[in-house]
Amino acid sequence: MVTLLKLEQAGFGYGSKMVVSGVDLTVDAGDFLGIVGPNGAGKTTLFRGLLGLLQPQCGRIERAPGAIGYVPQRENLDPIYPVSVAEVVHMGAYGRLRGLRGFPRVDRERAAQLLVRVGLADKGSAAFASLSGGQRQRVLIARALMKNPQLLLLDEPTSGVDRGAQQKILELLHDLHAREHIAVLLVSHQVSMLRSAVEEVLWVSDGRVRRGPTREILAPENLDRVYEDASSGAPEED
Amino acid sequence: MEGVGWQEFFSLFRYALIAALLAACVLPVVGCFLFVRRTSFHGIALPQLALAGVALGFALLPWCVRHLGWPAADPQAALDSKHALMNYSLSWAGLFSFGGLAVLLALGRRGDNEIGRVAAAFAIANASIYIFTRWAPVGKAEVDELLQGELSYVGIHELHTLLVVLLLVLGVLFLFHRDLVLVSFDREMSRVLGKRVLAFEALLLVLTGLTVAVGTMILGPTLLFGLLILPPLAARLYAKSMLAYFFLAAGFGVLQVVLGALAGFRIDLPLGPAMVGCGALLLVPGLFRRP
Repeated sequence: MVTLLKLEQAGFGYGSKMVVSGVDLTVDAGDFLGIVGPNGAGKTTLFRGLLGLLQPQCGRIERAPGAIGYVPQRENLDPIYPVSVAEVVHMGAYGRLRGLRGFPRVDRERAAQLLVRVGLADKGSAAFASLSGGQRQRVLIARALMKNPQLLLLDEPTSGVDRGAQQKILELLHDLHAREHIAVLLVSHQVSMLRSAVEEVLWVSDGRVRRGPTREILAPENLDRVYEDASSGAPEED
Repeated sequence: MEGVGWQEFFSLFRYALIAALLAACVLPVVGCFLFVRRTSFHGIALPQLALAGVALGFALLPWCVRHLGWPAADPQAALDSKHALMNYSLSWAGLFSFGGLAVLLALGRRGDNEIGRVAAAFAIANASIYIFTRWAPVGKAEVDELLQGELSYVGIHELHTLLVVLLLVLGVLFLFHRDLVLVSFDREMSRVLGKRVLAFEALLLVLTGLTVAVGTMILGPTLLFGLLILPPLAARLYAKSMLAYFFLAAGFGVLQVVLGALAGFRIDLPLGPAMVGCGALLLVPGLFRRP
């Protein structure tokens, strides 16, 4: 099994404040994991650390070169930009473009294939902001795939979309996982979705990370124990 | 213009018209970045700051003539050495544009109200223009002309300077447009792809400061506002891609300048404000479009 991400006693935080620490984690090809935990527990910090947006304050992290494809929360992308769907997907290849070089035909064709792959073949020239939430999310997945990643890191991919769109996104991720052997690691606060979609989760709480089977970690009695007051920062039972 | 034919008008304003057309091709593209990055207000405050710098330059001109080895006997004579005066004014405009940008960004890092901050910069710069002009023994007419946007003072030196700077800005935008769009649209993705985000953001600021400093000095703040803000705003209604957005904005800019020149000639209006007025007309169809 190829190891894509390996953390040893890693800690991440901001300034002098450590938010998550002592993280020992290995993500291998073939993994399909969720990251879940109460609000403010450090999910986003861990996610940013895995992506390389935060350097570890202690311990070490190893990433397989070029392995990671990143899918941000679509709400973070301002709809004021009149970018087309094709332009957004092309951005996934910008990392290897320099200066005056035109956008290579091979990347253009790859982008078109990926739009077919995510079920949006006819939307290339549409304005990104004009798409529904679920469609935009699939465009962002296509963008991440432009890098030919072995691991997809997704930030709240199904938040704020209806059940039909959520189902399509999850089917796409499972299909990429099964057919193209792409490992998937997704942050979500939607407990019900995670229970049905992933077999293993990383539970982030009190600055610590624990990995285990979804059924065990997200069992209702377990969640009740963690959240004495279920209304304060608990993940959503959708 | 009463009693003036087309040929005379063009002969009188040829440098001004070419400068305005050149600016119309480049400034709206810079304005597109200001607009999508939600920093359009910078396009209003910075030209005012640049003009305050020019006014301060005129106020300090007697001292500079005496102590900095200016090739003129007195401030009045300094006004006649057009090239030296333009470089001198340009330095002040650049100092205030870049200084203003730096202060606005430094305050922005503290996270307080951005619109209030930029509005305060505009108000202070506006007041400073009149105070510095009052102190200046010479140059009041030049500052007034810039404020009124007559464009009658644009000569071959001004056109050359504008040409060099705007072609440089356009070249850099063309060379790095993909990176600049990516860094603006999705900062985190840029970092994941290994882009030098801070370097590209600094590049955008330098291009903005440079454009504003030179544009204010040569076209005046009125036309500069008009070209930085109105075409991108109008083009946003129709563009479905960033590339189309840049071209549409530049096209609207050129249309605004051509229509403004016609209006200025026919109705005898100052060229800069006439061009801005025509730019405002481009926004009218947007009032009837559903959001």
